[in-house]
Amino acid sequence: MRARPIAPIIFLRILAPERADPPMAGFAAVLRKDLTLELRGGESTLALVALSILILIVMVFALDPAGGAADAPIAAGALWVAMIFAGMAGAARTVLAERDNGCIRALYLSPLDRGALFLAKLAAASIFMIVAEAAVVLMLVLFFNLDFDLRLARMLPALALGLIGFAALATLLAAISGRVHAGDLLMPLLAVPMYVPALIAGVKASAAALGGAPWSAMGQWLRIMIAFDVLFVAAGFILFEHLLDED
Amino acid sequence: MANTFTRTLAALTGLLMFAAIYMTFVFVPTEAEQGIVQRIFYFHVPCAWVAFAAFGIVAISGIFYLWLGGQIWDDLGYACAEIGMVFCTLVLVTGSIWARPIWGVWWTWDSRLTTTLILWLLYGGYLMLRAMAGDSPQVARFAAVIGIVAAADVPVIVVSVRLWRTIHPAVLITKQGEHGLTDPRMVATLLVALAAFTALFAWLLLIRFASLRTRSRLAALERELNLAEAAAGDL
Repeated sequence: MRARPIAPIIFLRILAPERADPPMAGFAAVLRKDLTLELRGGESTLALVALSILILIVMVFALDPAGGAADAPIAAGALWVAMIFAGMAGAARTVLAERDNGCIRALYLSPLDRGALFLAKLAAASIFMIVAEAAVVLMLVLFFNLDFDLRLARMLPALALGLIGFAALATLLAAISGRVHAGDLLMPLLAVPMYVPALIAGVKASAAALGGAPWSAMGQWLRIMIAFDVLFVAAGFILFEHLLDED
Repeated sequence: MANTFTRTLAALTGLLMFAAIYMTFVFVPTEAEQGIVQRIFYFHVPCAWVAFAAFGIVAISGIFYLWLGGQIWDDLGYACAEIGMVFCTLVLVTGSIWARPIWGVWWTWDSRLTTTLILWLLYGGYLMLRAMAGDSPQVARFAAVIGIVAAADVPVIVVSVRLWRTIHPAVLITKQGEHGLTDPRMVATLLVALAAFTALFAWLLLIRFASLRTRSRLAALERELNLAEAAAGDL
């Protein structure tokens, strides 16, 4: 048996306590399972990080930026392209992994609340994406010759909101794409148009943040992203049960 | 019975369409600034109205399908998505034809154009799902969820794209409560064209809906036959 890393286990205990009240118990159990699976040699996060950085490199070749603050809008655009296209492949993994060995059926047979299941999958996907985004932002600073300063911190709300919205959308759609013929082709066809509002707002807010604009310049974009997140988390919470039903 | 109604509706659609064409090309005065090109407006706007109405029905029938069940709601949503897609395509094409002489470009990233394009892509995805995944109650549920989520996403898309940019003329009603149709004959033509396209929509929907209903009944009969044959084989 492999040695268990201590720090992540403590992190897991805090995030998903084993003894929780019934409404939260299912959520905590599924999230704990997904995170444990990922810590013991899961490939989702690693693939997400690698793919994000590759897309970033492709964007650098395609756009050939001079770097520095003048290229902030280009850097913001590259960041979001990397996020949605890597996220498309990575964020859906938490749901798609259940398809193997028919685990999704076992989940369906369990007395678990469907909304809680959706939230657990969403939380796991968000955590994987946070790790990937941290790597991408780091590489972005290096590739685009930006500075490690407050401007990066100002980008965080937009990134966090965009990431949660995308994880919600991807989790919802993965329940579909995992179970229809050629579903992996359908995923981007459905996800990208639906993500448009958050994408526009995210790129604008990130460009403003990297360009050194004040908080007020980002307000309207952050509000759109909050609306998008609320909409898709609520939609997933309510509608996930209809996607899991079998005939 | 259904046939009589369909025929009456077809005749009504034909009459209204002839009236709309006559009014668009002969009756209505030419717009002073834009000239003859502006007449495409009397087709462009009704197409947009039909597309939005059809996409709205997709969402509503999706809600009813998940809530009450029943193949009839799924058939209605499918028929509306197909028809909405046709008219949404027409909106983009007629808009492009108008924009070339007026704005000097085929396409521009104006808010309404962008929103319409996103809608077109959204429901294109919906139809791809239906085409690729085949027919089953499961796919019907998937489609219902997509239809509902897409419609719920539309207001957010509209707001975000509007903040992003806009140059589309506010033809119908501006914020000041004025509208760009200066002549009462223009309003009359638009109303007749709207009625004609609404009738066309209803007629197309009736035909497509009836054919999907027939297909669903056929599928149900086939399932019954298979069950009966399996039972006979067991004996």
